[in-house]
Amino acid sequence: MALLSGCASQSLFVSYPSQAAKWKSELAHTPAQPVLPAADAQTGESSNASPAGLAPANTLAPSPSVSPVISKLEGATAGADGVLYLQELGRVSQLQGRREASRNAFASAVAAYDAEDASARIQASSLAATGTALLTNDNARPYIAPDYERIFTRAYQALNYWAANDATGAAVEFRAAALEQQVAANKREKEIAKAEEEAEENKIDLNQFDGYFDGLNAVAGEVKSSFQNAWTFYLSALFWEAHGEYNDALVDYKKALEIHPDSTMLKEDVQRVSAAMDRKRGDEGGLVAVIYDQDFVQPRAEFSLPIPTVHGFFSVAFPTYSLQDKPRPNSLRVLDTGSQPLGETQVLADVGALAAKDLKERLPGMLVRQTLRATAKYNLQKEANDNYGALGAFATQIYNLVSEQADRRSWLTLPAYAQATRFSLPQGEHTLILSTPQGDATLTVPVVNRGLTVIHAVAVPGRLITRVLPVQEGPL
Amino acid sequence: MRRVLTMMMLGAAVALSGCASKVDYGDAQARETVNTDFGSTDLQMIASKMVDDMLVFPPIVQLTQNRRPVAFVDSIKNKTTEHIDTESITDTIQSKLLNSGKFRFVDMTKVESVREQLDYQSESGLVDPNTAAQMGRQIGAEFMMYGNFSSIVKRDGSTKDVYYKFTLKLMNIQTGIIEWANEKEIRKTRNKSLFGL
Repeated sequence: MALLSGCASQSLFVSYPSQAAKWKSELAHTPAQPVLPAADAQTGESSNASPAGLAPANTLAPSPSVSPVISKLEGATAGADGVLYLQELGRVSQLQGRREASRNAFASAVAAYDAEDASARIQASSLAATGTALLTNDNARPYIAPDYERIFTRAYQALNYWAANDATGAAVEFRAAALEQQVAANKREKEIAKAEEEAEENKIDLNQFDGYFDGLNAVAGEVKSSFQNAWTFYLSALFWEAHGEYNDALVDYKKALEIHPDSTMLKEDVQRVSAAMDRKRGDEGGLVAVIYDQDFVQPRAEFSLPIPTVHGFFSVAFPTYSLQDKPRPNSLRVLDTGSQPLGETQVLADVGALAAKDLKERLPGMLVRQTLRATAKYNLQKEANDNYGALGAFATQIYNLVSEQADRRSWLTLPAYAQATRFSLPQGEHTLILSTPQGDATLTVPVVNRGLTVIHAVAVPGRLITRVLPVQEGPL
Repeated sequence: MRRVLTMMMLGAAVALSGCASKVDYGDAQARETVNTDFGSTDLQMIASKMVDDMLVFPPIVQLTQNRRPVAFVDSIKNKTTEHIDTESITDTIQSKLLNSGKFRFVDMTKVESVREQLDYQSESGLVDPNTAAQMGRQIGAEFMMYGNFSSIVKRDGSTKDVYYKFTLKLMNIQTGIIEWANEKEIRKTRNKSLFGL
């Protein structure tokens, strides 16, 4: 068993969520390093008034060496599930302020996606892994990142370039993110077509958007919301708008609106950019946007069912998402120094729902393998009972029960909810108060006429991490 | 017994040499088709197409008949989904044009270093004023070279299709007239194989 777990996937006998808990708690409880400004981020201070017992703030300190948890995580990126650990490493490094490490990890993850896309449809190595999976569990199969994780990787990589004030690099990543979203939609073309057909049969008006919102489709939007990520669309739309690429901005705002047709904020954004395209750009002042990552996405739970047979017990284990574990959305409120509210974030991407949709799409394959595996293990048990005596039969029984573990792997440092809000302020320095249940922060941000200032706030249990990204303005 | 041993050693030798990685020099101009990403062959195709086309364009031939106009290279906008060093493409184009003897260039990326050097020569008091380069004697560029690099990528389960379009333009700075423009299109397609390791 030790041998098996050593060479194959790490999650074979140690459930993935329990592995991920280590680096998640590291993020929550050790403010290892300030996420805040290297010299390039414009201005910004951050304070952290979080619950008792925690270090008070992100004070600037010389970069400490990486912790044992992180170096173990780095080690795991070489394994069969490398892409999963790379994603985690990229995110953790980003939140700890190690931008280079984060960029490298995400770049390697992207290289792994490319390799996955280019790999042969029937692979000897994956057949072997499936063979191992038949005698152990689905965790023996190499991890393949689902679409929604790819989209997040691209978006977070864009933030890395953005933080380094490399607008060209960020633009490339946003385009790549848009490509991933498009690929995700193309894969599910049939699903969208079916929903539209049903809507037509039930006489639902597909074009319930008037005037500005041409080309949007409510029914398709509803389907798309289950695999596309409006938060990424929104972030890239803000970026394009700040650089005067109104056409790109409009497309992305509309795609976000398609997913959230009731959002007043998005409708206003579409109107504002439409006006800008007609050169009717109004008042001076700059846009301040707060992107807010709330909590961590819930891990998959295990649903395990022992089945008694004449030859002994067999267990069947499936991954599932339980509704009780799902964190509830809470918003981040932005106040000015006079305690006047400026904005409140709204949920643009429910990552738990994206993950659940992905699991749902994977279930048929899991069912087939589960059936095959149950048969294989049943035969193994039968043979042990007949040929290896009581001890052999007992050992096989234990093995069959213990080895049956659900595939609970997924990117777990993603937020549970990706939220955003935006508001305009006149040019100059502004002090803003961010208020969340995880803590408050006071930031001083620069605002430039027709520029965009983005505050990235991440709430992990007991801690609010904030950083101000360099102002974006002018043509790309 | 000895024969068996020899066979085993041979087998081991074959197996071991199979594992060792090998380094070799290749032809820098060889076709590179590792994947559909932007690569050396694309860069070379773009640069040679641009330069060849420009140097035979009749108005440019006429323009460069008796003099070598001065130009500068503005950045090429990267509008693709890949991190591409567009400066490397324009560097190649610039070198080829320079080597053709038809054009001369001023380098806008080095203005700061030049200014520093000029300041040093004129103000430090360490440089013989007779040999010091004079301020305000640089030659103004007549033409600006700029362009776009965009791509359209389509991907499904088994195929990836990448279309690149590189556009380069030459503008007369004084009149604002585009004297020459051309584009290079590249299409690359990758099909997944059915079987693999």
